[in-house]
Amino acid sequence: MATDLPYAADAEISLSWDELDVLRQQYNIELEKSHVTVQTKFNYAWGLVKSPQREHQVEGVKLLQEIYRAEPGRRRECLYYLGLGHYKMGNYDDARKFNDLLLQKEPNNLQAASLRELIDRAVSREGYIGMAIAGGAAAVGTILLAGLVRRAMRK
Amino acid sequence: MAPREKNRELREALEPIAELGGVPSASGGPSHLAALSKTIMTPFGGSRSDSTRILKDLAPVIMTPRMIKGVATASSSSGPKPLAPRAADFAALGRAPMRITLHPRRITSTDMQILEATPELLHAEVPEPQGIAHDVSLIRGFKATIPSAERGKARRRKVRMSEGRAGLLRHGIGERGLLTETSIEEPGKSPRKGKGRAQRRQEREQGHVLGREELARQVGEIRMDKENLHVRKTLVNSEIDEITQKIKALDAIRDQLHQDLLKLQEEELELDDELDGVQEQLAEREAAKPEVPSPAARRKKGPAFLPSEHDDLPPGVAFMTLSHSSPITALDFTEPYGTLVSADREGGVRVWDLLEGEEVGRLRGHKGAVKAIQVEGDVCITGGEDGAVRVWDLRRVEEGEPTEEGVVVNGDVEHQEGEGELPQGPLLHVLEGHSKAVTALCFEDTSLVTGASDKTLRQWDLNTGQCILTMDILWAISHPPISTPITPSLEGLSPSGLLAAASGSFSWPIPSTGEMWTDYVGGVQAWGYALVSGSGDGGVRLWDMRTGQPHRTLLGHTAPVTCVQFDELNILSGSLDKTVRIWDLRMGRTADLITYDGPVTSLQFDSRKVVTCASENGVKIWNRTSRQLSTLSINGHTQPATKLRYIDRYMVSGGADGVVKTWAL
Repeated sequence: MATDLPYAADAEISLSWDELDVLRQQYNIELEKSHVTVQTKFNYAWGLVKSPQREHQVEGVKLLQEIYRAEPGRRRECLYYLGLGHYKMGNYDDARKFNDLLLQKEPNNLQAASLRELIDRAVSREGYIGMAIAGGAAAVGTILLAGLVRRAMRK
Repeated sequence: MAPREKNRELREALEPIAELGGVPSASGGPSHLAALSKTIMTPFGGSRSDSTRILKDLAPVIMTPRMIKGVATASSSSGPKPLAPRAADFAALGRAPMRITLHPRRITSTDMQILEATPELLHAEVPEPQGIAHDVSLIRGFKATIPSAERGKARRRKVRMSEGRAGLLRHGIGERGLLTETSIEEPGKSPRKGKGRAQRRQEREQGHVLGREELARQVGEIRMDKENLHVRKTLVNSEIDEITQKIKALDAIRDQLHQDLLKLQEEELELDDELDGVQEQLAEREAAKPEVPSPAARRKKGPAFLPSEHDDLPPGVAFMTLSHSSPITALDFTEPYGTLVSADREGGVRVWDLLEGEEVGRLRGHKGAVKAIQVEGDVCITGGEDGAVRVWDLRRVEEGEPTEEGVVVNGDVEHQEGEGELPQGPLLHVLEGHSKAVTALCFEDTSLVTGASDKTLRQWDLNTGQCILTMDILWAISHPPISTPITPSLEGLSPSGLLAAASGSFSWPIPSTGEMWTDYVGGVQAWGYALVSGSGDGGVRLWDMRTGQPHRTLLGHTAPVTCVQFDELNILSGSLDKTVRIWDLRMGRTADLITYDGPVTSLQFDSRKVVTCASENGVKIWNRTSRQLSTLSINGHTQPATKLRYIDRYMVSGGADGVVKTWAL
């Protein structure tokens, strides 16, 4: 099967409010009738994942997990969406796990490869900032310490 | 899900207002009023009506006006809802991909659930996508079903609206492939270029402005729309298939449950029977009779105790095969896993140990085949083609050649062993008197009843070996009991058949095989003074052995009766006319009729089932509760089964293929 997956960039383009609302309505209607089709569930989940709001993303990933559990045939695809969802949520560890599992199955998957790159970049950036904070704190501490020492020396 | 519930609440709060036809109730707050006014205005709002229209397209059936209102309300109300865009969230837009440690994340319980689920999900197997999952990817389905997929259509509609009626017509032609008109017109455009604005405006008013690019774009869009529609059709179809599968699975489960219910009912009946039997035994005990119930009594009532392994055997499967060299003509056994005696057409009578499945010995003496066997405990009685009845002691059966010495014909001597007579052979008595083949027999304690092709029934005293009573069936036919309505020619055999049966030797072609059936008396059963016989004239007769007269004749079978059995309520008779009739003893009528595909040659029944051999390889079981006919054929006979006998859940059947099979029921 030629993999038909959106690139991560697609996940950054949010749906309009109206559109997401239609998807949610459709999902809720089917939910009330206690038969939710996979496509409806996915549509809503994907709409949620695309949203910039974290609560939406969490909800979306949860729905994707439900699809993953219930539909073995859809798991391959869902690996990618779960990876993407976790990536958007900032759970880079989990994002990497799902994405790597997909890459293990489909090493030539371009979308997954690009997602891996994005995750790597995000992790290192997070690392730099963390280091910067730590470094900053260390610097401040050193200065304070030096001040104290100097004051002590003066006496 | 909190957001959904809140939505519903909101909608429900609004519904009364909407249903009142826009009369605001006093309880409705200002926000309700605002929402209401928006609801009423909704159809006229541009983008909002778009979204409801799309939703209508997506699910036309379920979009009732009330729902449309609900949708409109949900999207227009600005109340505090978790999923509604809030001012604070607009800030999130910018930093969404930049969420870093400096911003502490709000970790909710859903977050935790998601994270906890990860290892489990990662461990689940990921199979190759198949079926719909292979044909239509989720994102393809998404693109085909999201509202923006309809954008092109809406745009085209708008374009056409502005284009006007004439343009629409033209466009319609263009779309049908008659683009030539437009393309001819195109080159003509350039000279007109200089004609100025006024000219062009005029053209537009006439509807000429729909250019090539626009048309091409529309073609592309329509193609895309069609493809999207195809995708959606595929999705819906697969969903229908899936639901069909689910319904099938549910149907199967329901059937299974019905079956389980039937089984439970049967079990209940079985328990009832068992209770009756045990209570009867108890009553006997209390009546101060220390006598142990005879094996014959056990055969009729109460449970037989089977080895514990028997329960582990799959029911309805033959688990043992004992081979003869020719078709089986008769068989009987003492108890489950006890002793079996079986006879074949070549005259061999073999004794088997059913526990070991081994031949213990043979009963030699009859000239010709043995047609009837009954075994009770150690006593075995056989009736043969030679017209003789032989009584055997199975304890004395041994491997090797028995002698016929010490055998007393028509017993002048009691059959106790070790009384000076030579006890070498198993044979105890030979009862002679019938002039033709003995084809049916039944004994209880010291009373034996035999039926033979000489068209008589005889009762014997086993202690003395004397024939005490002879009942002539021919005489009974010519002197029908007064109590019976005289309708023999209507229901029974034709008078000519009766005459034929009366004169000389009896034979009847068996419908399926073309062989001749020569056993005039197909079956007898005696109980106390009551005797039931089934005979070649198709009649089932009830005899009183005190008078030797038949007191009732049951007519209905159109071919010779081959087997009978009765209990307190019913007589069952099987016949070559491919039926088993269940007679009501009190009414003297056929209470039920079971039809088979072949002539019935052997039957046995209890309160729950009727087991028959009906000239088929499989043994037939008619469930009296469910009225269903099932067939035992797994590992069964390779030629029609002819004889069967069962006690409790242990059955033995013999077939034309010359083997005896044992079954777990």
